[in-house]
Amino acid sequence: MNSEEIITVATGVVKSWDWATETSRPLPKQLDVKVKLIKELVPIIVGLRVKRLGYLAAITGIDLGPEVGEMDVLYQFCPGDVVITLRVRVPRQEAMLPSLCEIIPSAEVFERELQEMFGIQMLGLHTTEHLYLPDDWPDGVYPMRKDFDPQILSH
Amino acid sequence: MNTKQEPQRFVIPIGPQHPALKEPGNFQFTVDGEIVTKAIVRLGYAHRGIEKAAEERTWIQDLYLIERVCGICSHIHALAYCLAVEQLAHVEAPPRAQAIRVLVAELERIHSHFLWMGVSGHEAGFDTFFMYSWRDRERVMNILEKLTGNRVNYSANVLGGVKFDLDQEQIASIRGGIDFLEERTRHYLDVVATDFMFLQRTRGIGVMSRAQAEIMGAVGPTARASNVARDVRKDAPYAAYKEYPVDIILDERGDLEARFEVRLKELFESFHLIRKILDTLPGGELTARMPRKVPAGEAVMRVEAPRGELLYFIRSNGSDKPERLKIRTPTICNLTSVVKLAIGHQLADVPMILAGIDPCFSCNDRSVQIRTSNDPDGRMLSWDELRQHGIDFYKRLEK
Repeated sequence: MNSEEIITVATGVVKSWDWATETSRPLPKQLDVKVKLIKELVPIIVGLRVKRLGYLAAITGIDLGPEVGEMDVLYQFCPGDVVITLRVRVPRQEAMLPSLCEIIPSAEVFERELQEMFGIQMLGLHTTEHLYLPDDWPDGVYPMRKDFDPQILSH
Repeated sequence: MNTKQEPQRFVIPIGPQHPALKEPGNFQFTVDGEIVTKAIVRLGYAHRGIEKAAEERTWIQDLYLIERVCGICSHIHALAYCLAVEQLAHVEAPPRAQAIRVLVAELERIHSHFLWMGVSGHEAGFDTFFMYSWRDRERVMNILEKLTGNRVNYSANVLGGVKFDLDQEQIASIRGGIDFLEERTRHYLDVVATDFMFLQRTRGIGVMSRAQAEIMGAVGPTARASNVARDVRKDAPYAAYKEYPVDIILDERGDLEARFEVRLKELFESFHLIRKILDTLPGGELTARMPRKVPAGEAVMRVEAPRGELLYFIRSNGSDKPERLKIRTPTICNLTSVVKLAIGHQLADVPMILAGIDPCFSCNDRSVQIRTSNDPDGRMLSWDELRQHGIDFYKRLEK
């Protein structure tokens, strides 16, 4: 499949959820899908997987800061030379997302990272143990959030 | 009092020092006799918070920070970062700079693959192989030093181009070095494909099927040895790879032997590419002008590091610092696979399976602890002892 075909197939998959998504193409080889309903995220990813577009390259969290009170989570799929990004937005307080481990086992490391660095609870992820942070890291402190103060670790 | 007889199970932690990743790793292998039944990964022993630190520094300062993510593949990290920032700033480095970037990236791949080859030879107990391949690796290290002034952290990139040019003398010394290394690689390929002792440690060990590699998201030579045609240089050419294409080396066996052969055959592609670049190096400028502030936006950049696909994601808010910088290294993808692969194997195969994904083993002496269910304090084994266990195990089999 060349890049145009990949984008056509992926757009076709996402179109079945057009009430819950917004699609754009920031660059010729990028497809950006805003997923407005979090419960539709897993079905869309299953749809991509069925079409063999499910190579998950990364899950990226971005804190938008306490003023906005929300965080972005980007699921980056990289079939061929195309980057398909699924975006969801979660609140900073009690953020929750469904785990992808059942469909994409390699998502586990990315999800554990999100869980401890951003404080997003991953529903269905079996482990809550730290992957990167020390065992004695204080509870409820998420270092990749914008308002993280390293001073908290000094005493 | 616990009178119930518990089955004897050992948990063997390997690590934490493990410098191939962004951070060292710890693997806990549960064994039933000699067979691994469970494997767990724990990372973060030297997490330096580079992603967070990058948010506090300017675009230019970050370049120097990024180059220190990894000592083995520092160039490819800086390259991915530069390409992503250039994409955001709508700047394109001149063709000569792009060609030099690819040249250094391929020299780095040669040094990295030779390093890996020696280390895995050592893990197999084949120290002659280790000594020779590291001696030969010095040749490419010298070339890199002559070219950039540094053996590691070459600092070849700047935002918008490269720092140095090539002269005729350097070109001649690269050519000489490449000819020598090509001949040596041919010899090593012959060794890994024919040496009976070595094949015992690699053939049919750690087999990963194509479907497994795909679903576990393996990348780089590890994936290509399982017949997954995934190479960013080919799939999404960056820098000068459009002008200097490479062939993907595939193998369908998926075992350690295949991983050796794929990496060694890849080296021939690198030699070929380097010669082609030296023959047809475009003229012109070395840098393009970069603005101090980078326009707001997002960029995803994928490059092929020696160990596989490396992904950088950058979000800019229009200031002189990035809003978010995300690094996904290839080893984190391959780790998942190695953990699953080890299950069902002999403990003696663990060092080789770990070495097979090339998680740079420059830190030699790792502490290994053997814990039994009725001896909670456990017994300490060093990595050397575990390695020796592997070698002795196969020697016993031979008798």
